[in-house]
Amino acid sequence: MNALSIALKDVRILLRERGLLVQLFLLPLVFIIGFSMVFSLGGGNEAITLPVVNLDAEGEIAQALIDDLSATGGIQVALYTQDEAGTLLDEGEIKRVLSIPAGFTADVSAGRRTVLELVSDPEASEQQTAAVREVVDGVARNLSLETQLREAFRRMDEMTATGPPEYQVFTETTIEEQARRQFERSRHTPLVSIAQSFPTNLLGDQDELGVQVTVAGLLVLFVFLTAQTTAQSIYDERKVGSFRRLMAAPLSKAELLAGKMIPNLITTVAQIVVIFAAGVLLVPLLGMEALTLGDDLLGLAVVSLLVALCSTSMGVVIAALARTENQISGISQVALWVMGAMGGAFMPRFLMGDFLSTVGKVIPHAWATEAYYGLLLRGEGMASITSELAALAAFSVVFLVIGVWRFDFDS
Amino acid sequence: MSEPVLVVQDLKKKYGDFEAVRGISFRVSQGEIFGLLGPNGAGKTQSISMMTGLFPPTSGRVHICGLDLSRDTNAAKRKVGLVPQELALYPTLSARENLMFFGRIYGLRGKELRQRVSAMLEVVQLTDRSDDAVEKYSGGMKRRVNIAAGLLHEPEILFLDEPTVGVDPQSRNAIFESVEALNRTGTSIVYTTHYMEEAERLCHRVAIIDEGKIIALDTPSGLIQSLGGGVIQVGLDDGAVQGPLGEFGAEREPGVPGKRVLQVVEQVGGLASVKAASLRDGLLKIEAHRAQEALMGMLEITNQLDVRITVLQILEPNLEGVFLHLTGKKLRE
Repeated sequence: MNALSIALKDVRILLRERGLLVQLFLLPLVFIIGFSMVFSLGGGNEAITLPVVNLDAEGEIAQALIDDLSATGGIQVALYTQDEAGTLLDEGEIKRVLSIPAGFTADVSAGRRTVLELVSDPEASEQQTAAVREVVDGVARNLSLETQLREAFRRMDEMTATGPPEYQVFTETTIEEQARRQFERSRHTPLVSIAQSFPTNLLGDQDELGVQVTVAGLLVLFVFLTAQTTAQSIYDERKVGSFRRLMAAPLSKAELLAGKMIPNLITTVAQIVVIFAAGVLLVPLLGMEALTLGDDLLGLAVVSLLVALCSTSMGVVIAALARTENQISGISQVALWVMGAMGGAFMPRFLMGDFLSTVGKVIPHAWATEAYYGLLLRGEGMASITSELAALAAFSVVFLVIGVWRFDFDS
Repeated sequence: MSEPVLVVQDLKKKYGDFEAVRGISFRVSQGEIFGLLGPNGAGKTQSISMMTGLFPPTSGRVHICGLDLSRDTNAAKRKVGLVPQELALYPTLSARENLMFFGRIYGLRGKELRQRVSAMLEVVQLTDRSDDAVEKYSGGMKRRVNIAAGLLHEPEILFLDEPTVGVDPQSRNAIFESVEALNRTGTSIVYTTHYMEEAERLCHRVAIIDEGKIIALDTPSGLIQSLGGGVIQVGLDDGAVQGPLGEFGAEREPGVPGKRVLQVVEQVGGLASVKAASLRDGLLKIEAHRAQEALMGMLEITNQLDVRITVLQILEPNLEGVFLHLTGKKLRE
């Protein structure tokens, strides 16, 4: 009950801090709208030129692949010889080359696995490279499916034609079943794969991608920035001396800390709700794709609560470690913004490269962003992001334990 | 004397090798105003913090109304009111909101809470401004709300930690009157200050604390009497001309006392009525057993040695003198 009294008091104080309210609720919206616009304007609706070296020049399937790539609209194919492509790539004139290997058509036709090589200049736009890879991957997958199905039907046709009527075992049902199996096989073990490791979680539409990625990254940044508000609130209690008065009251330390955490938990949850609401309702009014909340709203609520708890616990740690107002401000300005950036606030995490992506795993921001990517970007459910949920819960517990352990109630 | 509401036994607080409080013991009776007098850094706030349960002592015990603070912590804390040295209020909340909050923390609810808050606002004469944010109040008004917050739950014993620091004389008097009025209702008060005149005016008994230890404990008059007859300060001039040192032996360096002045100091120090005589900043300071006798003896010696008196001050015996006598330091050093 005492914890609720403290929480209620802090909420009253917060509601009178207009500057803080702007920082907590308005600033994230400005960032989200701004970054979504950047994504949309710079988005990949213009065709990307893709140099292609076709070493299987006579092959039907290689030609079909090139035709299909051109037909996507997102990619404009430019054919080069191997030498030309190598020279241009060395000179920096072109940034990437797709190589179709010799014998590609024969391999695909025979059901043998084959590899398309996508060579990319390190300085090439990672976003464009990722988009190219996705398009090539999609086209190749469809192509291999088509080839496999065609081959299956061809064999069935041959067998049906040569056998007596009583041996006609391929009924309409068995043909459908065969087609389904081939389709599944093509999805899971495609005949054609691309020799470049890259994220598989990009979606095609750049507008939608922009909003989903932007909201996930910036939401995590701003919710964790609220840790500063938690720390500042605890520091202010010390500064005005009310902390001494509260410690002299019949009140346990746990009640006192809980009372300081609850309002910040409420604030961060409110922040998340406002950001999602703006993504769904406000962003489309500005001519961009609306945020879609995915298929698992319960999962979204669980992730959001864990992120809010983790941020609040982090605030307790900052309050416990910082001795002055400047230290709180310093830690928050540097650490929280840097961690936010590493967590994908300003660049999607899947474009960061292996090093930053791996390093990011030591901070909760990365796990939080990945959890949101799972739900918002890939449309997965809670079951697919259990490791992210576990990590966020673990960070919350660790922060809380360190915060309580290091918190100096005596001063 | 009635039952003690506060018993402090050998209270100590150590931070590493540093002993902030070095074993203090005393009792406060029902209805008593007990002063803790000492300079800044003497250990007053640390002591009060332990007595109000803000943090535990390194060793020692505190009993409040018979309750052991370390065992029956919450029950004991309910008997205690604390008015910290800082203005422990939320500046953007109104006086009423502040009091409502602190009332809730002490378990007051509903109608009783509202009535107590309204009553306290009446007592501190802030009913008209009760819905204004505290940050818009004057320093004195804030102090009054600060005290009201400590009294809301009607504590048996109230701890006032330097309540007049940074307060104008008018508000200071208002605070004195509030403390006296509160005490008339039977509330016991522990009052810390480094202003000896406050301790003399308000306190029934005073403990003088320095470097974490109580060095004297008595009624203000008892402490003053222990000093004896008081202090006399005398400015002396033996007519020696200030000038280059060494010429004719009569001249002296600026700031260096003349030969006959030193003789006066020596002879006055030998008088039976004088405890000690010293020369500091050109003033002869006489700590007397019997001030009148000491004064007469000093006048006789200055006449004999033909030393002119330029300044004569007879200091009233007071707690400042007691502190000076006991520690060799001024209270506000």
